[in-house]
Amino acid sequence: MTETRAPNTLTPSSPAVAPGVAGAVAPDTLLRVDNLVKHFEIRGGLLGMSRVGAVKAVDGVSFSVRRGEALGLVGESGCGKTTLGKVILRLLPATSGRVEMDGQVLFDIPARGEPRRRPVYASNEAMKKVRQNMQVVFQDPYASLNPRMSVGELVGEGPLVHGMTDKKEREALVRDMLGRVGLNQSHIHRYPHEFSGGQRQRIGIARALALHPAFIVCDEPVSALDVSIQSQVLNLLNDLQAELGLTYLFIAHNLAVVEHISDRVGVMYLGKLVEMANVDDIYANPRHPYTVALLSAVPEPDPHRRKKRIILKGDIPSPANPPSGCRFHTRCWLREQLGRPERCTTEEPVLRALGSGQESACHFAEEISPEAVASAVASSGPTVTAEP
Amino acid sequence: MATTRGAQEALLEVVDLRTHFATADGLVRAVDGVSLRIRPGKTLGVVGESGCGKSITALSIMRLIERPGRIVSGSITFDGQDLLRLPEDEMRNIRGNEISMIFQEPMTSLNPVYTCGDQIAEAVSRHGSLTQREAAARAVEMLEQVGIPDAKRRAGEHPHQLSGGMRQRVMIAMALSTNPQLLIADEPTTALDVTIQAQILELMKALRERNGMAIMLITHDLGVVAEMSDDVSVMYAGKVVESSDAITVYDRPHHPYTKGLLASIPRMGARRERLDVIKGVVPNPLNLPSGCLFKRRCPYAMPICDNAPPLRLVAEGHVSRCWLAPDGGRPELGEAPSAAEAEAAALTLTVANP
Repeated sequence: MTETRAPNTLTPSSPAVAPGVAGAVAPDTLLRVDNLVKHFEIRGGLLGMSRVGAVKAVDGVSFSVRRGEALGLVGESGCGKTTLGKVILRLLPATSGRVEMDGQVLFDIPARGEPRRRPVYASNEAMKKVRQNMQVVFQDPYASLNPRMSVGELVGEGPLVHGMTDKKEREALVRDMLGRVGLNQSHIHRYPHEFSGGQRQRIGIARALALHPAFIVCDEPVSALDVSIQSQVLNLLNDLQAELGLTYLFIAHNLAVVEHISDRVGVMYLGKLVEMANVDDIYANPRHPYTVALLSAVPEPDPHRRKKRIILKGDIPSPANPPSGCRFHTRCWLREQLGRPERCTTEEPVLRALGSGQESACHFAEEISPEAVASAVASSGPTVTAEP
Repeated sequence: MATTRGAQEALLEVVDLRTHFATADGLVRAVDGVSLRIRPGKTLGVVGESGCGKSITALSIMRLIERPGRIVSGSITFDGQDLLRLPEDEMRNIRGNEISMIFQEPMTSLNPVYTCGDQIAEAVSRHGSLTQREAAARAVEMLEQVGIPDAKRRAGEHPHQLSGGMRQRVMIAMALSTNPQLLIADEPTTALDVTIQAQILELMKALRERNGMAIMLITHDLGVVAEMSDDVSVMYAGKVVESSDAITVYDRPHHPYTKGLLASIPRMGARRERLDVIKGVVPNPLNLPSGCLFKRRCPYAMPICDNAPPLRLVAEGHVSRCWLAPDGGRPELGEAPSAAEAEAAALTLTVANP
């Protein structure tokens, strides 16, 4: 919890919020994440005094998000995608790593084994400015809105805190926001329980938008909604992005939803990014065996296309005790096909650029071919064993 | 409707089921005119959004409705018997022996203080005459059948020691331990990750094939339904609005709600700029519109829709609760027929019973 004390104010070497002139960073990069690590300590022993292990929720993730793009982040539960979003927003303290948002370094904490240096944190004033620029929409519109606040108070809270409006002007601003997200402006004095799930999610979006942020983390924004409501909210997010030039980090487990909204997609497995590519490339031509299996597992809403799938064996291992080498090796179909090469269990693969412009963290990404996939599908028998 | 699906006998036939709940705020007609047909050994997918009454339909079939809920009318014929007229002790025999059920959240449906093996053994011995030792052996055998590695050790573990996918396998093992003819699966994979979902669906397919059992698969996921079902019934606000074989429902949906649902989901490999939407929200069950329940959200709404449409036969084996002509065009009723005219016209259109 050191950074709550903000021990070190950022040196003004990187000019605060000066878009487009941020040193080595490409001019259109809005968010840059370097080697981000978040471990949750597991305590045990007498009175929980000793550290007995750590859940490696995010374990060395680097990527950047360009201004105006939607970066999708997919993965199964426990892969660390939500934690990653929260650490970037500094809603959770990072263990190590560096995050830079719009030219402002939010934190820069040396990793274990790196030369010792003092961690850098943005000052409270700087953070307040940055927070106005980066907002979040949460998954559960029932839990994320304070039931004792009216819509006007919920949506107007941020601008008031940031001094962007006063109480007199607030109502006009809130009405404008409600109109933008397709809610009835006369509902400004109603309370969250009076709205349906889809409408509540619109309130959540209006609340995020009220600060005129450039960047929004959408954490499973439609997964709690009914099918017929999902498309309304997805269209709204698309429209707002086009209209306001927003940048999204879109976290979801539904691959079809992520494909719909994203320009680029990153796939996470056990705290690591295993593949990153443009949306069309990754869906048409996945270059990591986990991505291949994940895409193969999605049932398609078309009874003509009942396909045989790659059925991964077993469960996702615990992030407190991830497998050695490549974390996917315990379930990997490609490793089986290649005769279980030892490299997978000993050497941890890094995310590397392939010729196709995709990045994959697999030692044998080049071995993935339509034939290899077809043979993996053919050998994925059902998991039933004994006869009755 | 009974004779519209070819000569094959139904294993389960639900006709015009109504299950209502008398709440403090008023009467909620959770299920209000549901007719379903499940063929032996086949899978019926029941699709609908939350609150459409699909789970209440399943609980009504099992006769597990508790106060303030009550099955008001209708019939549920299973293997020639009307379940709604059976005495409770005979119903208890059907439950578990003939019809088993698995639920969405395996953690809350398993007893946390008993081992998995004990829970399956309990189900086995309650529905058959086995000794304790035989029942325990059967439990391990069932766990092996559902693909749990190291089944003997797992049988001695408690539910919290298992992952979500493993727990759902235990639920399936328990449900299948008595070789039921019908398995009712209420959102069996909704709480699971996609790679685990694929494992469970594959398991259900294999077991279905081997045991020859029928499945009633309740879900909101149109992908899962397409993957698993022979027949599909679509529910909306307590009613079945469309039923047919799966290919027909996905290729040639008739009801505007089915059409809207299929058009609104994002599909992999088919990116679009915008998704089609169904405008508005599901109506409040305490304040349902008169006439067709979908009319306020329907792009085809016509004056006749103020009259509640019956389930109409639009093609061989294909019924839809909508006034549109069987080819999907508008019925020839003139510009704005009076209520009386509409009623008269309604009667002349092909209407399936009930």
